[in-house]
Amino acid sequence: MAAVTETIRTVQGLEADKYLHGFVTDIEQEFAPKGLDESTVRFISEKKGEPEWMLAWRLDAFERWQAMEEPDWAKVHYPKIDYQDLYYYAAPKKKPQLNSLDEVDPDLLATYAKLGIPLREQAVLAGVINSPRVAVDAVFDSVSVATTFKAELAKAGVIFMPISEALKEHPELVRKYLGSVVPVSDNYFACLNSAVFSDGSFVYVPPGVRCPMELSTYFRINAQSTGQFERTLIIADRGSYVSYLEGCTAPMRDENQLHAAVVELVVLEDAQIKYSTVQNWYPGDAEGRGGIYNFVTKRADCREARAKVSWTQVETGSAVTWKYPSCILRGDESQGEFYSIAVTNGRQQADTGTKMIHLGKNTRSRIISKGISAGKSSNTYRGLVSSHAKAKGARNFTQCDSLLIGKECGAHTVPYVEAKNAHSVFEHEATTTRLSDDQLFYCRSRGLSAEESVALLVNGFVRDVLQELPMEFAVEAQKLVAVSLEGSVG
Amino acid sequence: MSAPFRIDLRDVSTFPTRRDEAWRWSDFRRVVSSPAAPAPEIAAPEPGGPFAAIEASETAFANGRLPDGDATAYLTLDGGVHRLRFVTQADASGWQAGVRILVPDGASVVLLETYESSGGAYVANAALTFHLEDGASLERIVLMDEPADAVSVSTATVELKPGARFAQTVVATGARLQRHETHLEHPGQGVEVRMDGLYLLDGSRHADLTTVLTHTGGGETRQMCKGVVTGQARAVFQGKIEVRPGADGTDARMRHDALLLSDRAEVDAKPELEIYADDVQCAHGNTVGALDDEALFYIRSRGVPEVEAKILLTQAFVGEVVDRIGFEPAREIVGPWVAQRLEALV
Amino acid sequence: MLSIKNLHVSVEETTPILHGLSLDVPAGEVHAVMGPNGAGKSTLSYTIAGREGYEVTDGSILLDGEDLLALSADQRAAKGVFLSFQYPLEIPGVPALTFIRTALNAQRKARGELEVPAPEFLKKVRAAAASLKMDFDMLRRGLNVGFSGGEKKRMEILQMAMLEPRLLILDETDSGLDIDALRIVAEGVNAMRAPDRSMLVITHYQRLLDYIKPDKVHVLAKGRIVASGGPELALTLEKEGYDRIVAEAA
Repeated sequence: MAAVTETIRTVQGLEADKYLHGFVTDIEQEFAPKGLDESTVRFISEKKGEPEWMLAWRLDAFERWQAMEEPDWAKVHYPKIDYQDLYYYAAPKKKPQLNSLDEVDPDLLATYAKLGIPLREQAVLAGVINSPRVAVDAVFDSVSVATTFKAELAKAGVIFMPISEALKEHPELVRKYLGSVVPVSDNYFACLNSAVFSDGSFVYVPPGVRCPMELSTYFRINAQSTGQFERTLIIADRGSYVSYLEGCTAPMRDENQLHAAVVELVVLEDAQIKYSTVQNWYPGDAEGRGGIYNFVTKRADCREARAKVSWTQVETGSAVTWKYPSCILRGDESQGEFYSIAVTNGRQQADTGTKMIHLGKNTRSRIISKGISAGKSSNTYRGLVSSHAKAKGARNFTQCDSLLIGKECGAHTVPYVEAKNAHSVFEHEATTTRLSDDQLFYCRSRGLSAEESVALLVNGFVRDVLQELPMEFAVEAQKLVAVSLEGSVG
Repeated sequence: MSAPFRIDLRDVSTFPTRRDEAWRWSDFRRVVSSPAAPAPEIAAPEPGGPFAAIEASETAFANGRLPDGDATAYLTLDGGVHRLRFVTQADASGWQAGVRILVPDGASVVLLETYESSGGAYVANAALTFHLEDGASLERIVLMDEPADAVSVSTATVELKPGARFAQTVVATGARLQRHETHLEHPGQGVEVRMDGLYLLDGSRHADLTTVLTHTGGGETRQMCKGVVTGQARAVFQGKIEVRPGADGTDARMRHDALLLSDRAEVDAKPELEIYADDVQCAHGNTVGALDDEALFYIRSRGVPEVEAKILLTQAFVGEVVDRIGFEPAREIVGPWVAQRLEALV
Repeated sequence: MLSIKNLHVSVEETTPILHGLSLDVPAGEVHAVMGPNGAGKSTLSYTIAGREGYEVTDGSILLDGEDLLALSADQRAAKGVFLSFQYPLEIPGVPALTFIRTALNAQRKARGELEVPAPEFLKKVRAAAASLKMDFDMLRRGLNVGFSGGEKKRMEILQMAMLEPRLLILDETDSGLDIDALRIVAEGVNAMRAPDRSMLVITHYQRLLDYIKPDKVHVLAKGRIVASGGPELALTLEKEGYDRIVAEAA
């Protein structure tokens, strides 16, 4: 109940503008020439001082991308993207020294402070004793500007650094795993990312190590007309565990901006990765002007026995979302989980869900998806559950619920189930309802306002998923859900 | 995929492939890669078929032709029971036929639709339209009993006026590719719709039950599809319920449950909801799995041998669909018909 | 009648659950097997009934000298083994009447007997249902579907009365029953007592044994019988709990 009160207070405390992160940081930046051709790819690779093989990898991706067509099967509509009208690289001019946060541009530090992201370790440490500590990698447009707690993590053997740095310091690891989960030409946006990705996080957790703190990457798009192409690669070696969280925001602009990320997770024997996303890119205004196109490929490969992956996502932002965090359950007894809250309001469009590919014996997966549509938005769950003939004993349970608020929005459920052996059991349940008048009346008769009643009921609707988030982000996410729905009642 | 794919057997460019979303699991062009030669003329069949025991009027197509040689039947059914039969005796050739059925105001009709053949690798393509006037009622019972080499597609579109009632039960046993597709627009206004299906597949048979239901004005829909698949057979269920803007008060329930009895068999399912109205209650459920081991043990612990126990459980599983057939004489024929095929499957 | 010697059982290749359990139940006797949670009580009942996945790695189970382990679950039932489940299953689409009749006739067929004529069967079911205070209409519905816990247990006893087994295994039959239901169920069981019939009453609590009086009580702990005695042993356990007896046996 405390969290609900908190939500209500947050909603009430809001000014007219409900998107809280829409400010622009005025900072000198360096851009790649606008447009995309081979020289853009070479420019990015050179800026990063990459090895030859990496450039070759990018150029190969670029060549393949040119032969591909943009997908159109998702239930989303947007004007054709002019890929020549974008900047593919934007970085703050004053390059921060990696070892000293003091040399980071104070404007940048202020930006992250405003967003509530602690980049100063002492600021975190100065908090309440035993308060959870979180290591942060902050990515500003195309580059990582700071990574905290690197030293302490290194003591545990955990590598946590920008992927551009990892390419220099741990090229053998990057080369071994990059593209091994999401192949270069997997899909149009992943292929584009492979050619032009600029930064993102790299995590390696050695065998048997339980990562001593939450890791998190905070993505910020700031520059105008700029696409963000981040690349994240996380490897959990045998018997290790890591919990990782990403957050995303962008300024309010009239134009649409492209975010095409690729996230690859490699999970080895008995290892576990918990990956949480709180995605709050600028969704555009009520008329659908501006906002981020969030076209993301996320995939986990449970490569060995008893590997486990858990995706949790709270999706409240972006004008258009196209995103299906997936699990390839290759190892015997490996497990995949997908917990999702997707909130759309205004003219937002989200087509999101997951794929659970059961290849190994006795593999398990669980999907809980909660979609909330309001305003004139469209919210689609799209998912695939499949079992290979050898995946004996595979189990899936899917629960997919949609909630409609208002008469002009859409909620869609498109599950694909492909079962190929007699020893797997797949169960799928889905419901679509609106907030019940009876429940609303009941709440109001107990003294809650219309808005409070909705907040209460929506919180109840998404509770199963919120519980899967790390504690310190659950309250944050809960507020976000309520904020995103503000103005949808009445 | 709101409008059905119009296949013309003379024109390969109209043949859907797995790249067409509505045919992703039933690649028509893979099994029919060239235009089908017209099936030969054959004598009209003796009246009867699987539902011979029920007194009824009859329209029978023989290799896609009516007795007068036409390929399209226009039927106004104003009451009683009518048999609609598609009888094929052809090999390496095909036919296409059309049926337009009108059920006038307040009429109540049972249609017993059968696809029959003694064998052959033919291609059949039937297109039906149903138009039910105010308060009309139609129960459509379809038996598809075709050879393992055949390719057969039956597509129906259904239009309903206020107060109409449409109930459908399709029983499919598969073929090389067998597809039964129904497109129905539900206007609300007191209309009631039941849309059931059952498939029983063995060998390397393939059956595809596809339905597209569009609610334009609220109202109730009940859909239950079940199936048992063994051998290397493949079942496809695609059920879509769309609720258009303003179709408030829609209450739609869809279930698909499949039993997979073999490790080489496959079930593909896509139960889809597309909702554009908020005062709705829609739900779908989908399960695919083996027989419940625990239930099997329970029955065996009471002394019932394994095969009998399996038959008992599968009969109970599919029985629910048969029990929903409203027209009792048809139910009494379909029940044993299904039971017999099931015993061969288990 | 029932003779279990040195029984070792594992479930799904994990650690053995029963190791070296021996037990004899002579004809006409009622024996109670009591034990703390996790002692292996349900494993014992499933193993006697022949559930797949319960792997006997050593020992024997004989019914009147005949090896039960060589038989499938349905063959054991035909020999007269009946397990009253702790959690009876719901089987939608199979009416209880159909179920019981199918089972009865399958058992008779296995024993080379003729099927029971329908009128005779119905008469007997009606009488049995009446004595268990069950609404006959319940028997026309899917087996156990929508039944309360008490109704499910009564349905087990009804099946028992109809199938007339020689060896009754009652697995935690009192769980989920209120006092009235417990009395009705116990009366049903007591009515089955006969010189050529044995019973194994498996229970955590002594309560059921107030209603179904055992001739002997065995304590099952850590996969073996650790103590045996007369009915007074159950009372001792009720007073003192399992700890002392289990510790002494260790």
